[in-house]
Amino acid sequence: MTDGILTNISMTEITVIISAVLIFFSIVFGIVRLVIGPDTVDRVVAIDLLTIVTIGLIALLAHQAERYIYLDVALVYGLLSFLGVLAVARYLEKGI
Amino acid sequence: MSTLVLTLLTVVLCAGILIGGLLAVMLNNMVSAVISAGLASLFASVVYVALAAPDVAMTEASIGSGLTTMIFLYAIRKTQNTEVKVTQPESEDSE
Repeated sequence: MTDGILTNISMTEITVIISAVLIFFSIVFGIVRLVIGPDTVDRVVAIDLLTIVTIGLIALLAHQAERYIYLDVALVYGLLSFLGVLAVARYLEKGI
Repeated sequence: MSTLVLTLLTVVLCAGILIGGLLAVMLNNMVSAVISAGLASLFASVVYVALAAPDVAMTEASIGSGLTTMIFLYAIRKTQNTEVKVTQPESEDSE
């Protein structure tokens, strides 16, 4: 344990790496759903999933770069993903 | 090490931009094509953040992902929502 590879990596760095791997798999599966999705509704849900995962990724990049002004971009995305999905839903229900 | 992992994740995002652009060109349903263009804009914004340009990323988020999708949907509502087949030469004679 004393001469392991994990002894000189901090706990925060391990957390960042695990989060990045999970975000990677989320992005890959979201893109797969977007590519093979036979209907428009599948693609709307996939782009909503990718937006939410992207907000987490931006927060992770803000932590890694130690510049917390990056969190404003995540804030703008949190507002706009709602509006975008709402616009597409209104279109599909023939309301726009 | 975590910097390396996030750099590799940025490369995955660039591949996502490519996939979004290809889908926006190749899909026949217009609404799906607009959503795929939104995917390309979304990932481009994250790449802007990774390249340390948060103001450009914020502009790309508000215009590319929000405003463009709504304007395209409004335009599709005003026109047809499916791709029109290219007319054959004999069908032009019937007009």
